[in-house]
Amino acid sequence: MVHRKFKNDKNSRKRFLLTTLENRSPAAEQFRTLRTNMQFMQIDRKLKTLVVTSPLPGEGKSTIAANLSIVLAQQESKVLLIDTDLRKPSVHYTFEISNNIGFTNVVTNQAGIKNAVKRTFNPNLSVLTSGPLPPNPSELLASNRMKRFIEEAKKQYDYIVFDAPPVNAVTDGLILSSMVDGTMLVIRNGKTEIEQAKKAVGSIQKVEGNLLGAVLNDCPVKDTPYSYYYEEG
Amino acid sequence: MKSPIDFLEILSILKRRIRLIVLMTFSITAAAGLMTYYLVTPMYEASTQILVNQPPSEGEAFSSRELETSRELIETYNTIITSSRILDPTLQQLGLEQSRSELSSQITVRGEGESQVLRITVEDSNQAEAADIANTLASVFQEEVPQIMNINNVSSLAEAEVEGNPSPISPNIGLNMGAAFIVTLGLGIGITMFLELLDNTIKSEADIENELNISVLGQVSTVNVENRPDLEVLSSAEKSQGSETYGA
Repeated sequence: MVHRKFKNDKNSRKRFLLTTLENRSPAAEQFRTLRTNMQFMQIDRKLKTLVVTSPLPGEGKSTIAANLSIVLAQQESKVLLIDTDLRKPSVHYTFEISNNIGFTNVVTNQAGIKNAVKRTFNPNLSVLTSGPLPPNPSELLASNRMKRFIEEAKKQYDYIVFDAPPVNAVTDGLILSSMVDGTMLVIRNGKTEIEQAKKAVGSIQKVEGNLLGAVLNDCPVKDTPYSYYYEEG
Repeated sequence: MKSPIDFLEILSILKRRIRLIVLMTFSITAAAGLMTYYLVTPMYEASTQILVNQPPSEGEAFSSRELETSRELIETYNTIITSSRILDPTLQQLGLEQSRSELSSQITVRGEGESQVLRITVEDSNQAEAADIANTLASVFQEEVPQIMNINNVSSLAEAEVEGNPSPISPNIGLNMGAAFIVTLGLGIGITMFLELLDNTIKSEADIENELNISVLGQVSTVNVENRPDLEVLSSAEKSQGSETYGA
């Protein structure tokens, strides 16, 4: 499903993908709306590369990045989801694939994109897991090789979605934000503090990242059989 | 909360923390009830009535002014009864060990309406003792007053009696629980409002637009996993890999 929910215990977090959802579910509808709104933001500028980040950990970046990639792929676009959280990667867990080879191998020229990318249940959606964790994630992301990699990937895919670390915690998200066409900020309802969100917005604007807008995660849904009115997040 | 304070907003804030309020109110009300029932000694009361009649002044008819004087006298009797002159012999006669002021605090003296009747009420944890004290007070009073004042017409109307199955006058469990209920309900609402003031998290699309000045691209709602057994739970491997700090 779209969303994972955790009750009391952080270890009971579960992440869900739209794969298991019937297409008419409210959750799938929410991601299609997100996709539409995002696509409307690219009036002057072609939006091909997108960073999904958040102010702090645990706000739903990876879930939203994964599901947004799925709905983009459902539009017959070729989509590549890259795990650029080189400190705590999680995309390989989400898609239950191995992380032997991935993004870091490609950027350091140890492997080609084609060899490192993994196929998913959706033929249009490819996933690039993090690969072995480097000691210097920020330098790796800021390198010229990284820029060349993005250019290379842009030729092969219609959309490239970067699942990035939180911007208030490490600088990685900001580095990516300055390199891509758009940045999406995930905000968790009732958890993200206003001050943290402001700080994140300020940081992204400082590096002249194109902040498309925010995604409000964990909203209470009314009038659907799948939801509670007020669920604690 | 933003100003102006919106009534609906307050309602939704209260609704969000309804569990805190209800739990707090009911547990403290129940605790108040139990404590009242088990910890507070029940008190009983007994009262006796005395008629104090002033001898009519010579040549004057029984007048309303005279009646008024009698009632003023009740105040005087009240003071007399709670004085050592009456209390000491009472304590002696009953062989009680409490102090004079303790006894004095158990006694209430009041006039019965517009009449010249004096009611002495005694509270005690023991019904029989309350009655004993009331009756002894009345008899000591009857003996002593003619010596103190120019009165010889004090008569006992009703003696305090011990009822078969007396009900305590205090504590009043219902009253205590009611008070606890109202106080904790108010407290719960107060705490909720306080928490809301301390809570500086984003809670709506409007918060994002107003506070951050960025647009909202979409909303993703909470999905209750437990009610959807058809859903596939992914990333179960994450658990064994330890905590997820960044992944989110």
